[in-house]
Amino acid sequence: MRTSRFTIAVYLAPAILVMAAACLYPVLKAFELSGYKWDMGTAASSAKCVGFDNFIAAFSNPQVWSSLSTTLLFAAVCVSAEMVLGIALALALERQVRGMAVFRTIFILPMMIAPIAVGLAWRYMFDAQFGLINALLGVVGIAPKTWLADPTLAFVAIVIADIWQWTPFVFIMMLAALAGVDRSVLEASRIDGARMWHEIFLVKLPMVMHVIAITLVMRLIDAFRVLEVVYVLTFGGPGNSTEILALHVYKTAFIGQQIGVAAAVSILLLVVVAVLSWAALRLSNPMKDSA
Amino acid sequence: MTIDRRSFVKNTSIAVFGAALPFSGVFAQNRFAKYAGKTITINVPAHPHYDAMTKLLPEFTKETGIKVEIDKLAIGRLKEKQLLEMAKPQGDYDLACYIVMWKGEYVAKNLVHPLEPFFANPALADPAYDMKDIIPIYLENLGMVGGPKGYLAGPGAQLYGLPYGAETSVLAYRKDVFAKLNLKVPETYDDFGKALRILKEKSGMGALTSRGQAGHQAVHAWLLHLNPLGGSVFDDQWKPRFNDAQGVAALKFLQEVVATGPAGIPGFGQGESNTAFLQGQAAMYLDSTSFAGVVSDPARSKVVGNVGWALHPRGTRRASQSGGLGLTIPKNAKNAEAGFLLLQWLTSKAQDKAVTRLGGAPIRNSTMNDAELVRQYPEFEVFREALKHSNPDWRPIIPVWDRINVQALGIGISEALTGKKTAEAALNDLVPQVTQIMRESGYKI
Amino acid sequence: MSGLELRGVVKRFGDVVVVKQLNLKVAEGEFLVLLGESGCGKSTTLRMIAGLEEVTEGRVFIGGRDVTDTHPMDRDIAMVFQNYALYPHMDVAKNMSFSLRISGVAPAVVAERVAAAAKILNIEHILARKPKDLSGGQRQRVAIGRAIVREPKVFLFDEPLSNLDAKLRSHMRAELAVLHQRLGKTTIYVTHDQVEAMTLATRIVVFDKGQIQQVGTPAEVFNNPANTFVAGFIGTPSMNMFEVVAQVRNGELRLVGDGIDWAAPQWLGAVGVKDAQPLTLGLRPQSLSAGEALVNRFTLRADVVEYLGTESQVVGVTQTKDERRISVIVPGDARAMHRQHVSFCFDPSALHVFDKGSGASLRPTINDTLTYTNKEMTP
Repeated sequence: MRTSRFTIAVYLAPAILVMAAACLYPVLKAFELSGYKWDMGTAASSAKCVGFDNFIAAFSNPQVWSSLSTTLLFAAVCVSAEMVLGIALALALERQVRGMAVFRTIFILPMMIAPIAVGLAWRYMFDAQFGLINALLGVVGIAPKTWLADPTLAFVAIVIADIWQWTPFVFIMMLAALAGVDRSVLEASRIDGARMWHEIFLVKLPMVMHVIAITLVMRLIDAFRVLEVVYVLTFGGPGNSTEILALHVYKTAFIGQQIGVAAAVSILLLVVVAVLSWAALRLSNPMKDSA
Repeated sequence: MTIDRRSFVKNTSIAVFGAALPFSGVFAQNRFAKYAGKTITINVPAHPHYDAMTKLLPEFTKETGIKVEIDKLAIGRLKEKQLLEMAKPQGDYDLACYIVMWKGEYVAKNLVHPLEPFFANPALADPAYDMKDIIPIYLENLGMVGGPKGYLAGPGAQLYGLPYGAETSVLAYRKDVFAKLNLKVPETYDDFGKALRILKEKSGMGALTSRGQAGHQAVHAWLLHLNPLGGSVFDDQWKPRFNDAQGVAALKFLQEVVATGPAGIPGFGQGESNTAFLQGQAAMYLDSTSFAGVVSDPARSKVVGNVGWALHPRGTRRASQSGGLGLTIPKNAKNAEAGFLLLQWLTSKAQDKAVTRLGGAPIRNSTMNDAELVRQYPEFEVFREALKHSNPDWRPIIPVWDRINVQALGIGISEALTGKKTAEAALNDLVPQVTQIMRESGYKI
Repeated sequence: MSGLELRGVVKRFGDVVVVKQLNLKVAEGEFLVLLGESGCGKSTTLRMIAGLEEVTEGRVFIGGRDVTDTHPMDRDIAMVFQNYALYPHMDVAKNMSFSLRISGVAPAVVAERVAAAAKILNIEHILARKPKDLSGGQRQRVAIGRAIVREPKVFLFDEPLSNLDAKLRSHMRAELAVLHQRLGKTTIYVTHDQVEAMTLATRIVVFDKGQIQQVGTPAEVFNNPANTFVAGFIGTPSMNMFEVVAQVRNGELRLVGDGIDWAAPQWLGAVGVKDAQPLTLGLRPQSLSAGEALVNRFTLRADVVEYLGTESQVVGVTQTKDERRISVIVPGDARAMHRQHVSFCFDPSALHVFDKGSGASLRPTINDTLTYTNKEMTP
């Protein structure tokens, strides 16, 4: 018996409604907010409709654009480093070696720590006077650096913190993906003459490409939303050298009290993330493969 | 002019609150009875003063029968939460702690109660409260909104909060280091500047520690020098004047502080700034009096016993900071009256002494003059003197100040501290931005 | 020169010995089938030949060259896996050409060889498809194509047909036979399916418990099983087994057991069987005839009769104390026997006789093949 379209619709409806409520509502709300001037702490009914004024204010603000380019650079550097490191580590540690389970657990700890705590921990580590990083540099004879007081080093610092926190995510995803790779295909490649590099780049990684693509998208989306670690570590400074867009939105909304403008900037952020995710999924679309 | 304003506060306080005194005694006995058994909620930051306060609350419950619930948040999250809470028809907070800079905004948005009606209500007011005893500069700086400038005393000004955890600025210095180098404690900004160089070259540590992180921290550090050097953010017509000679001088001085101080100041928040001095990486500290408790705590300070206190050096004028924290009653509080009773109790003479004994910051002259407490905190003698010069117009506490502070000045000044821009360029570049924000906020400039 | 030799090969995983002391010589062009049940060590042996598994002891020679420590690609072999092990992200042509491409063979040569292999396997029309779009049989062909393209000295097959349905399996089996004739390459083929072994092999190696039980042509293995294991394993239905004791009576050698008193085959006297020696007898279901025409007889109660068209399989129980189950293949339709008591007879020469203790066959002519089995075999 064929299932009717109606039956399918009835079964899918609850899931679609929940998705719509959970995902779409906040986005629509952001669109709505971006059309109003509303002061936090006052009644929502007192908000004034201002048309596209918030978008004009947001897009004519050079800080928004410099913040966007900072964000793009941050995401590009972090995500590519995390992908490369995570994949490399997963390749190195995928084999069953004694004690590896403990090792893997230690590896994924950073991911489980609250971002605020990560920010604080790195703030201590990067401390110019007492920080662990400078102490380590001292051991190898490098003069201490004022990490958070220099625009370039501060950027490096937030990148390092993000890489430290999120490489394990890539690592876990890849470990799971690699565990699912058919061993006999790898053996076949070895018989076909594949050396280690061939095996990794021509067989293993292409076989897990859909997981790589998903991981990449998830990391990209997350990288654009990073807030707490940067908030704690540099608060966007020195100057605005580390003011990524999420922090700019936060400051505009909660310090500048321009909720509408902040909503407009977050829509810009949404568009950028959506475009990048779409591009990353074109690389290898897991949905298409399973269909 | 400052003097006039201050005496005005004194006088108003007496006139308004003094009038209620004769009647209040009747109700004194059962002031609390009506509220016994109720639970009130107080929203406070994680901050040493409020940590000390927490220890007093059981005593309050015992005396009054009113239970107190504390909602403690990181100071950076406080305002967000309060704005959300206070926008509701009925909020969870009966008493909330605010940073001085928020008072104008809260009043403008009609979020907090004026306190006068509470003090005028004989059923609530404590006849022994003695408002005159509260350090007037604190009362004006933290509590008054309205008046000619909006955030100072004067005709139209009203009291919306009471100082609790208020502070002024003083200079702390390493007695041992100064003695070794045969250095005089800087009295003026000229001495101060010279001392920076000498300490940098000879002491083996940073000269003056300072905050410097982008945003509020960097602006706070700059304001510490702007006032004594005769500058101000706006002129009397609300036009930006911070890029004038005084403004530039203050920023150049701060650049010199960065150059001679412990490494990394442009990344320092208050924590790093304090730590540098506590760990012996800096010979001087110029910031809040709230630091005194920590300096003499051997668990956290390596410099116990070696620290002397002095007035904020004099520039073209003698000035010290005013600021810190206060307590206010949200408009949508469930138990505003019980909240007031706690506010009144905490800021009473006895409890001000009690919280000071526990390491909190005093707000009353009687506390600062208390012989026993002065023995415990000899630096109070200097603090008392500093308070005489405390300037309530330290920063323009208008509703958009936070935005100007963090999103404009905070970025530009930070850029000057890392050397990305000269002091002149940084400040000049900020003028159009600040002007635009002011215009957007309805200032006709 | 393209033969293969295993010399004293041992494989241990920790304390577990998977392959014991293995000696085997394979001639060039031979189609050698490693036959055994799962876990007998046959696949491990194949993987050691391929270089996918290290040998614990011993040496492996391919074409006279010691390849024991050589990378799989340098052994000049190709392997076809049970689950095909195709590269899922490459189309068929790329799958087949992978090894040539990574070893830098000129594109023109690659294309030519792929085309040739595709033609042989009749898969020219699917060269642009990905493995997930292929049927099981097509995948199997691609896997074989991938092996052919490399033009190796030795082909290795690891249960290549076991994932196919019965019909396709017999079809592919025939194709493999043709392919081997056509290419003439040395082939080592692992399977648990004796039909594949019997039909494809030039020689069969029967494995059990990590050691070789017998090596021989399909006919040798079937007709002269070297021991009770091979006897029971090869042939469908399985050989019937009887426990007896040799008895010399009136100068004649008799085989006596529970309800059994049979004449012994002629040759048995010549191999030195002693009186009262315990023996195991084997009797193929196909060697029995209904009736009493031959000297050795017994009666069965026919419990099950399965009519298979040209023949019938009768499963019955002996009329003895131990009620032994016996299978018999009878020509034609034997359904009339159902639930009847039927007499069966056979010629003594049809008996396989094994020493009860060691299980080894006592028939002298098969001793030659035992040279390949290891020395530990007899306890």
